[in-house]
Amino acid sequence: MNCEVCQLKELEVEHFEIREVLRCILHTIVFHRALGLVRPKVIDLELFDITYVQCGDGELEKKIDEKIEQFISWVEKHPNKKSQVCISFYEVKNKHPSWFTNKTERLYWEQWYINLNVSQQQKVHSGKSHPSKIVVDPGDSLEERSARRAALETSLREVLFQIIKFVNEKKDHVPPISDGVVYFPYEVTIPSSSDSAFGMDMIKRMLQTGGHPTMLS
Amino acid sequence: MTPHSDSGKLEQVVSQFLLKSLHIILDSRIPSILPCERTCDSRVRKSDKWFNLVLGDRPAALDNLNFWHRNLMDPMIIDIILVQQRTPVSSVNNVLSGSSGRTATETVIERWFVQFESPPRVTASQPGEGCAASYKKTYKKSIIFLRSLYLQTRLLPAYRIFRQLSSSSQSLNFDIIYKVSSFSEPFSRAEEEMMKEYRFVPIEAFPGRLHVSVTYRPQLSDFNLQSLTTMLPKIISDYVGSPATDPLRYFPSSYKGDRAISFPSEVMHAPTSVPSQRPHSWTSGFHKPVVNRHLAGSPPVHCTSQMSYDSPSPPLERIQNHRRPLHQRALLYDECQLSPPFSLSVSPSTPTYLRNSDSPRQTRASCETAPVTIPSSMTSRNARYISPNFSDPSKLSLPPLSPRSTRLDHSSNESLSGMRLIKKSEASRAGDLGSVGQKVLKDSRDDSGRFSGPLSSSDSPRVGFSRSSSKLSFQDDIDDCDFSCPFDADDVDSPDSRISQNFDGKRNLESTSIGRKSQDAAVGVLVHMLRTAPPLHQDSSCFSCRSLRAEVDNDGIATTASGFFVPRRTSDALEELRSYREMKDLLLSKSGTQVLTREPS
Repeated sequence: MNCEVCQLKELEVEHFEIREVLRCILHTIVFHRALGLVRPKVIDLELFDITYVQCGDGELEKKIDEKIEQFISWVEKHPNKKSQVCISFYEVKNKHPSWFTNKTERLYWEQWYINLNVSQQQKVHSGKSHPSKIVVDPGDSLEERSARRAALETSLREVLFQIIKFVNEKKDHVPPISDGVVYFPYEVTIPSSSDSAFGMDMIKRMLQTGGHPTMLS
Repeated sequence: MTPHSDSGKLEQVVSQFLLKSLHIILDSRIPSILPCERTCDSRVRKSDKWFNLVLGDRPAALDNLNFWHRNLMDPMIIDIILVQQRTPVSSVNNVLSGSSGRTATETVIERWFVQFESPPRVTASQPGEGCAASYKKTYKKSIIFLRSLYLQTRLLPAYRIFRQLSSSSQSLNFDIIYKVSSFSEPFSRAEEEMMKEYRFVPIEAFPGRLHVSVTYRPQLSDFNLQSLTTMLPKIISDYVGSPATDPLRYFPSSYKGDRAISFPSEVMHAPTSVPSQRPHSWTSGFHKPVVNRHLAGSPPVHCTSQMSYDSPSPPLERIQNHRRPLHQRALLYDECQLSPPFSLSVSPSTPTYLRNSDSPRQTRASCETAPVTIPSSMTSRNARYISPNFSDPSKLSLPPLSPRSTRLDHSSNESLSGMRLIKKSEASRAGDLGSVGQKVLKDSRDDSGRFSGPLSSSDSPRVGFSRSSSKLSFQDDIDDCDFSCPFDADDVDSPDSRISQNFDGKRNLESTSIGRKSQDAAVGVLVHMLRTAPPLHQDSSCFSCRSLRAEVDNDGIATTASGFFVPRRTSDALEELRSYREMKDLLLSKSGTQVLTREPS
């Protein structure tokens, strides 16, 4: 089974917009890949005039929020960088254990790369800020900020359409879903704190795609 | 798994796909569609399990789809229409008196197009590898697609208007109504230029494909959508109103239950840009909702279904009562079908599905939604509905209230013009080319070319669309409840006309005579017929062929409308069956097609 990869359009976000943008995109992707019984939950973004859809699963929400917080922490330590958040879907294959391989192997069948360019105007924010707290960066003129916000909203909408297009164009690689299972196994990968070159991440992911045991948590 | 059972399952998947799509779209566009108590409802209904997407109660409006969208090959076109009330800045008295100073404009802000297309001839002899369990793949792909449709409807501009309507506590100068049909007038050039189109990638549904697209207005800001703050409320202490001015208003104390509330055509007087000729469709809403809503403070008039959630709205009570049996029966049909979902597991075995162990009545009780209220023009026009000739352009069309069977019935005859009084021969199956006494309704050809006549399914593959019947193996698990569900008096003809062949001009005469009947009488007769209709067995599918269509009387209004109102007898049915068998044999002998004959159960 081949691994389909989707590179989403790059978004220029400000620090305080990361949370909403990532939540929106990650939940949208998962919603399209949660092929078990789902009760959709419609969420309105606070910063943008966009509504997206979640799976309505508290556990899922929590997991995604945790990853987003980790990412925000990373961004704070590595400012002014282009970064990626990757969400991958995989199948678990059982391999007979040997001394250097894990018992199970992950076979990635789809990967989504969310490309973010976190803009410079960030002030010192606590990474543990309350999720709903929105901090507005001072310094920019109102027009500039609203123009940027409008552009981001348009781009975010385009990303969502991009997701819709991708999930509809490529369906054959999606594995069959088992009864009672709502989600395919997935993992959200953020740039590792240990290295600042996301090229290394790319290499790691390429290795994963090839079926090697994952090195990342 | 035989090809035929596969095709039956595909048929069911496609049918449910249409319903689900419609549900998703209406849920995100029409505030009045939403039942009041749905929000905290954690039940998972059978309809929710389809495509693993819990949407809650299906709007009663979806029952209409079963009634008239009988042919899966027909497109389902959903128009989302913005109705704007423009009130001249005159005295409030003007408005109160119901003068015609008000105008309402209708603009189609979205048009959804959903169609299952299939190649003309797919014989049973060529199932091929691709066919085996292909419905499972279709089902899985449909799940993914419907997820994206759910999101897409929230991303398009019309969703904002829907939210505005849903959340606003103020009176607004606009409303959204919808129209579902298998036919639509094409947009004018000016309208087209203002609209964009988005086409979803077609979904493979061997042997055909499911096409979904939407044409929408990307900019809605030029509509002056606002709350009605300009009109100062004038307190009239002794104002009661009257049916003449406010026919749909609920009069709590003064209403006499047996008051004959007619729905005069003045309700629909507002000039519209959308053609009122909607032969194969139903629609929602009225043209003067806003003012009433504002003035009376009564339940929103336009929200016909919403009114039903209030204590029974007297003017509509009669209609609702009449409607209920249909609604329930349609639900029975729907719920008695093969339950979703098909297992998507890799196992090649027959997918597991839930047995419909609930009694129909229980099912009905659990799934019943508030009945949709029929817009006035529709109820009064039952008798007239037959004619797709737009002889009465001022009125809306009503889909047939009593399909022969609420099963997935591919008889192409039933597809379009609502009054498909189709008779299906027991012996006819998917392969039959237009055999069996189709009351071929002449379908109005629309200029857009999106004509899907009653015979469009004539091309439908023999494999694909065999009429679901109890004889198909995969349906063994289904209770026979569906046989008692349908109100079978749909396609009733007087025996004479039936036997005298469907293709003569008699229909024209009969339809004309129907036109003369009073509207109320027509409704009454219809209701009586529905209530007294004896259950008939499910007929097998019958498909018409294009060649057959060519033979059809082109003037015709199809179906003997008079027949519509005549209760059937078993002997009539048997006689009809015999005649259809003969016709079928004749046609088949001409076409040389091998036919599987099935005995009626």
